[in-house]
Amino acid sequence: MTENAQKGKTWEPRVLAFLCRWCSYAGADLTGSSRLNYPANVRILRVPCSGRVDPLFILKALRSGLDGVLVSGCHPGDCHYTAGNYHARRKFIILSRLLEYVGLDPRRVQFSWVSAAEGDKFAQVVREVVADVKELGPNELFRIPEFAPE
Amino acid sequence: MANQVIENLSDLISLLTELFRNGRLTSFLGYQKGTVKFKSSPLIASRAEDLAALNLDDFLHYNLTFYLKEIKGKVGLLVKGCDSRSLISLIKEGQVQKEDLYIIGIPCPGQIDVKKIAFSMGCDPEDLEDITRSEEDGVIVRFRQQVQRLTKEQALLDKCLACFYPQPLLYDVLLQGDYLPPVPPKLRGEDETARKSAAEKWAYWSAQFARCLRCYACRNICPACFCPRCVVEENMPEWISPVPTLGDNFVFHLMRLMHVAGTCTSCGECERVCPVEIPLMKLNEKMAADLKELFAFEPGVDLEKPLPFRTYRQEDPNEFIK
Repeated sequence: MTENAQKGKTWEPRVLAFLCRWCSYAGADLTGSSRLNYPANVRILRVPCSGRVDPLFILKALRSGLDGVLVSGCHPGDCHYTAGNYHARRKFIILSRLLEYVGLDPRRVQFSWVSAAEGDKFAQVVREVVADVKELGPNELFRIPEFAPE
Repeated sequence: MANQVIENLSDLISLLTELFRNGRLTSFLGYQKGTVKFKSSPLIASRAEDLAALNLDDFLHYNLTFYLKEIKGKVGLLVKGCDSRSLISLIKEGQVQKEDLYIIGIPCPGQIDVKKIAFSMGCDPEDLEDITRSEEDGVIVRFRQQVQRLTKEQALLDKCLACFYPQPLLYDVLLQGDYLPPVPPKLRGEDETARKSAAEKWAYWSAQFARCLRCYACRNICPACFCPRCVVEENMPEWISPVPTLGDNFVFHLMRLMHVAGTCTSCGECERVCPVEIPLMKLNEKMAADLKELFAFEPGVDLEKPLPFRTYRQEDPNEFIK
């Protein structure tokens, strides 16, 4: 169990969000300036493009104990760098299937397209991701103590 | 040039000697008799005189394209069907130039899995006295004055039993010989592991990765792992700790797979060299099955088709994204 749970506090998930600098980050900004509420469980990390998100970043986030990861970029066709999100999409589906194959719930790592005008969609996406991760519980995948080999 | 057939070893040696003499080759990668029973060693010849040690037997497990990472210049090499796919991948990745290579294809009759045979006999591989091929793709094993006939399912490597390309796909000359008939498609990625529940899958892979020593043998032998500096050796920032904890082992193996995706041809070298027998081929085959299903891409088959992560289509799968 996590430290908070041991202390009797309610557990709150931590979700890392990689947001593309051109669309989703601006979308998140709009969410705030429109005074829309969304869960405070999300930690935003700005990246130049969703194509910048190396699968290693996602794995490292999970390894570091974050409970969920959200990657968000421009809608297909809207990439500032023309095709960054198309390339990213290929990597993400492969990674997503791979995680599922080794038994990691794909809801821990989610993807979305949010444009700079979709403040309400960003709030909605974050609500959904946080709800999913809350349902899954704390990420204790890598904390299995001394796994005994056969 | 691609229709020349070499009949025997001495013809091959005289051809190569000629190529060395006229400067067409500066190195040659082949096989020589190994110091361990039932294992050929790689031969790296840099002069025509070194070719005397060249030897072809029934135990050509090594994927020689791996040495192209370090041996530059005009290189000749022997390739089996699976190795020729690695070679095509390396050419597509820009790691080697096709013009610099002189490729000698070996029709592959399927490689003998000595470990598997020894396991079924209940002994160590060194205790087997002799292994020879029989006519119907199987082998004949001599062990403690007994002679046993094994079928190909009992004797060959699993990857060979599922091989679609026993005949090299790319070569300048071909050695004469029989090859294993290609089998109907059956990918090991669609195995029983994929049908388990998430918790069972995690338990299964945890048990596998918990054994990992992080010796990096899988990475070192891999023809597709050609980065001059591997991400696992970076320490500013340290992406993956070198300490073999379960979590870092997971990150390492998934990362390794993501890095070789599209270049990995499931040649099986990683699994063969793994000292703790992690079923890495399951992961490789899973990746191959996904690439085929999602992007209609088969690694190491077509020299022209772009690598899956260098290209995209607007109609790629999008449903998994919110």
